[in-house]
Amino acid sequence: MPLMLMPMPLPFLSDSDLLVARPPKGHYTRMLFWLDEQIWGHRVYPQTPWLMFLECLTVAEYFFREGSLLQEPDSYPALVYQPRRRMRLRNILWNNELIKSLEDEKLDSNTTWNKWLDWMKENAMHVTDTDFSYLKGRFERFSDFAFLVGMLRDASVESESNKRWTSRFLFPFGANAIYEDQDLKGDRDFNNFTRTGELLYLMLCRSAAADSLRPYLHDFLKGDNEWNQLLTVLEREPEKGDEERKHSYLPYKQHPCFDALGQDWLNLFQLGLPNFDVLNHLVTLGAFHVLLYQLHVAAEWTGKAEPLTFLCEVVAPKKTLVREVSIINFQENNGLSGDAVQAYITRIQQSDAWQQALQLLTPADVFDGCQQVLQKEIWWDDAADYDRSHDPDELLDYLREKAQVRHQQHAGEVHRTLGRLIGLVSRRGTNKYRYAPTDGLLKTLIFANVPHRMELKEFFQVLYSRYGLVFSEREASLVIAEEEYDPKPFAANAARLESRLNSLGLLRRLSDGCAYVINPNGQSSQGHA
Amino acid sequence: MHVIRDLSAWVPPQGAEWEPEARNLLEQFSSSLYSAQTSDYFLIAANDGQLIETWRRLPDSPAVSQARILFEQLLVEDQEDQPGVALRFFNLSRGSSAQLFDFAVDAFLSHPGWKLCFEGENGESMAFGPQSPIRRNYELLQTPLLQQRLRDLLELCDYNDLHIPIREILALLVNAVLGHSGNTCKDHIMVPADVTRIIAEGSVAKASIYNNLIGGNLRESRRESIGVFNYLDRFRLGHETTNRIDSILIFGEADEALQPYYDQYLGSDTFYGADASYRKAQSDYVESADEDLSNSRFLEMLVVQRRALFFKIPANEAADLHLWDLTVFRFAGEYLEKVVRTVHPTIKGRVDRHIVSRLVRGLNRVIVGMLINDDRKLCLGTSLQSTGAKVSRIYEDSISVVPSKGERVEIVWHGNKPALQVTLSEQISEVFPLNLVRYEFLSRVAEGALPSSFSKECYEDVLSFKSRLLTALKKRRKAEAVEGDEFILSFQRLRLDENGNPEHRTIQLNLPATT
Repeated sequence: MPLMLMPMPLPFLSDSDLLVARPPKGHYTRMLFWLDEQIWGHRVYPQTPWLMFLECLTVAEYFFREGSLLQEPDSYPALVYQPRRRMRLRNILWNNELIKSLEDEKLDSNTTWNKWLDWMKENAMHVTDTDFSYLKGRFERFSDFAFLVGMLRDASVESESNKRWTSRFLFPFGANAIYEDQDLKGDRDFNNFTRTGELLYLMLCRSAAADSLRPYLHDFLKGDNEWNQLLTVLEREPEKGDEERKHSYLPYKQHPCFDALGQDWLNLFQLGLPNFDVLNHLVTLGAFHVLLYQLHVAAEWTGKAEPLTFLCEVVAPKKTLVREVSIINFQENNGLSGDAVQAYITRIQQSDAWQQALQLLTPADVFDGCQQVLQKEIWWDDAADYDRSHDPDELLDYLREKAQVRHQQHAGEVHRTLGRLIGLVSRRGTNKYRYAPTDGLLKTLIFANVPHRMELKEFFQVLYSRYGLVFSEREASLVIAEEEYDPKPFAANAARLESRLNSLGLLRRLSDGCAYVINPNGQSSQGHA
Repeated sequence: MHVIRDLSAWVPPQGAEWEPEARNLLEQFSSSLYSAQTSDYFLIAANDGQLIETWRRLPDSPAVSQARILFEQLLVEDQEDQPGVALRFFNLSRGSSAQLFDFAVDAFLSHPGWKLCFEGENGESMAFGPQSPIRRNYELLQTPLLQQRLRDLLELCDYNDLHIPIREILALLVNAVLGHSGNTCKDHIMVPADVTRIIAEGSVAKASIYNNLIGGNLRESRRESIGVFNYLDRFRLGHETTNRIDSILIFGEADEALQPYYDQYLGSDTFYGADASYRKAQSDYVESADEDLSNSRFLEMLVVQRRALFFKIPANEAADLHLWDLTVFRFAGEYLEKVVRTVHPTIKGRVDRHIVSRLVRGLNRVIVGMLINDDRKLCLGTSLQSTGAKVSRIYEDSISVVPSKGERVEIVWHGNKPALQVTLSEQISEVFPLNLVRYEFLSRVAEGALPSSFSKECYEDVLSFKSRLLTALKKRRKAEAVEGDEFILSFQRLRLDENGNPEHRTIQLNLPATT
């Protein structure tokens, strides 16, 4: 199913059934105005894919505990949850450089335990009491404890990007490994958990596949494996968390992008991959769909008529036409979200409220009226630094500049940053960004889209219709203007993809230009057409 | 009986309607596949893609889509038939290239046209006379040693799942006799009219059959575009070598110990061995400074001579001179002789213990990610995150290589090639098909080196085999589990002792009372 999007009415002009009522003003502090958030939600940031996934899981873990996984309450506020903090576990794992050096000292087990427990008494943070002696009875030797802690530490996620120990994360073996990010004082901040993961959770709740997805996500969180159980051994007792998190906002009750996301996750879960192998793929496609969501919504707001496409280069040794068009295509897509912000402001300008304000009697009233519209629509209260004339057009121009700058700092980075992190966007071999999917991304796409095997041509069609990805000449002919279209470079591009998939063991070539993409984890060969 | 010789002619052009007659017949064929009684028999010849495309274009019906899925499965999974289906499916592109070669070389050499060239008056001409490289190449192609080596290469391609169609084998034979690497022949192929000039200008060596056999006379882009030369190129003949071989080629003439080899392989070959230009380049090379530009010409000659050696060294000296070190697949000779030609169903022999041990050691090193020396047991380890993690520090179990309590590891014939079979119990076993690349990979890993050129694909292959073994192990545990057994949370820590043997320690945990 192609992502053919319905044009969406603007939230502040209509109370369509497809829209979630926006939250009352005043939830959010430290904000100049609330604009990007009304287009995409509060909020879409260029969060790294793994952190987005983990943040999504902290929400899921709470509702798993409450027995209402992927069920969004009807009434506002949509999302109120109490994430786990697991400070004991985190002290043991991350606030604990001593443990390795103790192991090297090779003292007897008892002495080592005592040394370590003493150290923890002094140094453990953000816990009500610093007594960890319960651990001693649970392990036969200190070295066993140290070994397992070392294993867990090695299984950390995003360990390079975070220095502070309160922002180190465990690989999610199950619900016991999931906890919220904190700053060093033990409070929440939004540097790592930017709320985009919360939106990812909401998207899953609102996807058509939510019901089918629920049992899989449930089983994953249940974590029927020894590592998830080991974590209960490290904790003293189950934590009682009562700090509420809320105020996330996703404007659309439904969206084809949410459905596509849910379907991809479901497809991945259904493969039944061994161990925790599915997680990497969930992470990649979770972030990819957030990227797609942002661009699709932007396209709707700007009224872009052509379908959203990504012309992908399968990296060639030399510069090719595909690379050139991909660079241009990237730049066009990259500007789309900023255009949406401008389109939003244009819609304010065209709104009845604004037009009525313009009709007021004195210039002061007009200016005042316009400011009130902006206060109401985007909560721009603090226009104190506005020092230009009281001409409404100039006010709007000023807003346009401000909004663009604000957009570029965060939401405007999503397409490029997420694109790079999931392996869609690359600068390899050039100094300009373009779409050049990595082997890892291709593998994930095959896992999610090829139940067992699929003819390569059909695979190209699926990638095009589901994501807008263009590799071969056939799809390229649909999206490139006839006078600029040259099939040869795209045919070579497709051939490079074919040989790359072949070398990854993901393709079976028959003679005579016929090839099959193979999902090695796919269901048995008695498959369906 | 219906014979369809050219299937593509039956399919209407894009957008056009099917001829009712054609459509009915193909539908009839589709349904007859699954019916026991039929009075109509079909013989259909088609290309892979055509076959799938035709059945995709046919108006959909249960019988048509069933047939399409069947063809797809037979093609992709290399099957000849399926139980309950009245169809024999001969995939000619999956036949043995080595066997095709036997037929082709015979037909090629015994073609009556050659007699007209080499006998009578023509036999005295420049083009076909005793000095003619065409004649020389034709004669060399008849030698059993050269034929055998070439056949070995093609057979190895078979075992690497690289299939060569008959037209490319014929192209190879033509190129072998007529190839010339100079720039004076059109398309680098000699015609009789060229020969006089070639002899006069002294470029006979550039017609060397040893170079032509693997397409060395062709430009790189041309070589890459022809399947058989592309495949043969992967052996890197001429680019791989040993010190000993190069010493013979470079210093052999002047070195007492090496001279017999030099004389045998180069000195005695007045055609393609050490001719005047070779001797000149060689002595320039030995006496010149390293960075001298003229050396590159000699280095090119060396490449051709190494190729020649590969086809000249007789079987009884192959081991001594490490013949297969002239290719990238150093274990290829062993693979052919001691594995393929030992376990082949027509022979049903047993592979040497030390070969199995070496492969197991290679597997162990990839599976565990440490330099394990143990080769008596296949060691299964895991790590936390994904199956693909490089190092396994948790011990799961090990499988005895020699038969013990239902476990064993052995090399068997599986489908169309040898495979390493790991048996965990009477009912549970997994196979790892051993194509040449995998065999080379595991053997080299066992010896301590990870060849980067072809390691990535193999590495992934081994990891997916590991994942299958772990699933099999789970199955065995489930089958052996006694009901009512208490759950104990435990981990087995995997370490290597100082000799590289794995040892494991069980870590048991006392669960807190609340859980």
